[in-house]
Amino acid sequence: MNNVLAIAQRELKSYFVSPIAYIVIGFAAIMFGYFFISLLYYFDRVSLQAGVGFGGPETVNVNEMLISPLFLNVSVILLFTLPMVTMRTYSEEKRSGTIELLLTAPLTDVQIVFGKFLGGLALYGAMLAVTLVHIGFLFAFGNPEWPPVLAGYVGLLLMGGCFLSLGLFVSSLTRNQIVAGMVTFAVFLLFWVINWIASFTGPTTQGVLNYLSIVEHLNDFARGVIDTKHLVYYVSFIAFSLFLTVRAVDSERWRG
Amino acid sequence: MIEVQHLTKRYGPVTAVDDVSFRVERGEIFGFLGPNGAGKTTTMRVLTGYMPPTEGRAIVAGYDVLDHPIEAKRRTGYLPETPPLYPEMTVRDYLTFVAKIKGVPRKERRVRVDASMERARVADMANRHCGKLSKGYRQRVGLAQALLHNPEVLILDEPTAGLDPKQIIETRELIKQLGGDHTVILSTHILPEVGQTCQRVVIINKGRVVAVDSPENLTSRLRGSETMYVQVDATSEDTKRALEAIPGVTQVSLADTRGTVNSFEVSSEAGRDVRRELAAAVVTRGWGLLELRPLRMSLEEIFLHLTTDESAAPPEPAGADLSASAEASADGQVGPAEAAHEPGENAHE
Ligand SMILES: Nc1ncnc2c1ncn2[C@@H]1O[C@H](COP(=O)(O)OP(=O)(O)OP(=O)(O)O)[C@@H](O)[C@H]1O
Ligand SMILES: [Mg+2]
Repeated sequence: MNNVLAIAQRELKSYFVSPIAYIVIGFAAIMFGYFFISLLYYFDRVSLQAGVGFGGPETVNVNEMLISPLFLNVSVILLFTLPMVTMRTYSEEKRSGTIELLLTAPLTDVQIVFGKFLGGLALYGAMLAVTLVHIGFLFAFGNPEWPPVLAGYVGLLLMGGCFLSLGLFVSSLTRNQIVAGMVTFAVFLLFWVINWIASFTGPTTQGVLNYLSIVEHLNDFARGVIDTKHLVYYVSFIAFSLFLTVRAVDSERWRG
Repeated sequence: MIEVQHLTKRYGPVTAVDDVSFRVERGEIFGFLGPNGAGKTTTMRVLTGYMPPTEGRAIVAGYDVLDHPIEAKRRTGYLPETPPLYPEMTVRDYLTFVAKIKGVPRKERRVRVDASMERARVADMANRHCGKLSKGYRQRVGLAQALLHNPEVLILDEPTAGLDPKQIIETRELIKQLGGDHTVILSTHILPEVGQTCQRVVIINKGRVVAVDSPENLTSRLRGSETMYVQVDATSEDTKRALEAIPGVTQVSLADTRGTVNSFEVSSEAGRDVRRELAAAVVTRGWGLLELRPLRMSLEEIFLHLTTDESAAPPEPAGADLSASAEASADGQVGPAEAAHEPGENAHE
């Protein structure tokens, strides 16, 4: 476990000495802020129409009307930012030869992959932490319920974990980080639009495609419900992607 | 300490290492010698557990690298061909990270990092970013990294590449100190290095072992017959005839002529010293004997002999050859065998 943390820590630090961390967090803050303001504006209008002001007796629910759609919009941010987080993880190590240090140190492949995953997840956590500022405003000036907000964050963390593990896998396949970034973006896009494609197909395919969609599973979390079905989906998605990454690293070894 | 049995490694159609076997005893300094593309790096990568062999076994510090990789890696320090440095980390941070992943206990980390920086002479760069170091310093930080957890076995791929002459000497000294406590395998193209630092050498060419022995034995084993270099101030025909008449002399060949001075290479039966007779033959005839010395095969020549095509002529330690090999060692590379490896090199990417 110490080994895993050492790798995660190094990974996280390397994001912050490069512009990546600042670009990712900055972009996320701006986009989230934009979504927040537009939804707030919309919410304000709806509340006025309902004849209540901000903070008045709650007939219009802040959680439902504001926080939940806000969380669903976060997937757009992830689509653009997370490929930047994962693209260098393996590619850069392969290109620069530092992979030789990791693969000849007394570490298992699982430890290395998991360490890198945790490093990316920590950066993503920092990104989410910035969004707490906006949510904090709502708590300061209104009185939303906190358990659904918490559920939403759990969902976001898991959804990001899926994207990160997938990105890690793509990065393990090439030594060119630009290629890794672009392919990762394309794959994310596919998983993102998959339920949109689903709407054009028959009911059974639709069911399958919707199930595969990473974003679809966020709906319940965003609404404040932690359903084991979705939890299982996210956790197994992450585990499977990380497993594929371990396999990719190992098979690269055999091929040389 | 290290045992390699019938090791073969193929990259697709390219056989980089072909049925290589050797043993290295505890405390020994063992040299890998071979032209570019010979398979030195590949063998080392198998020994360090970076990649598995296609066939055969490698046992390091008592552990099979395939069956017990973690145990073997714990006992091995490895300096890869390109030092594996993270450019954005300072030397100290980098070595601390390496200490963590190599399982150095928290309490000992600082001490070990300092000690290895001291040994590899990089302490003055402790707070410099690895990406901003010169080539030689990178190499030294790479060495510090290999020494960090004080491993029993050290595998160093071209440890002196990119160092200045003073550093080369200091690094060789360091390696010699390390021998005894540690088992060291190092690879190099620089032949004198092997003679100076290694107790035993394996010469590899095109993935195959051509010879394994001590540098001294290699030198004498390959000599086969004794050759003398004689410079005489007399006509060439007369001298040649006179020298050929000496019992034990098998061959006399003219090497050089400058005015009236002729130089010969005189071969004699192995183990027979004909120097006295040679000198007497020249002097009693009243000719001037300007030079008489045995010609030894240098490691360079052995190397060239062993690694150039098997069908090539036997070693000819003639003047022309000497200058060619001197050139080869000057830039630390060995020319002739390189051309033969073009296809393999292309397959690299
Ligand atoms: N990753 C790889 N994929 C394919 N072929 C490779 C790979 N690495 C090495 N080779 C080939 O294997 C052979 C041996 O290479 P290796 O790097 O072991 O040689 P070397 O003795 O270390 O050479 P040098 O003195 O140049 O460092 C070469 O023909 C090389 O082209
Ligand atoms: Mg090499």
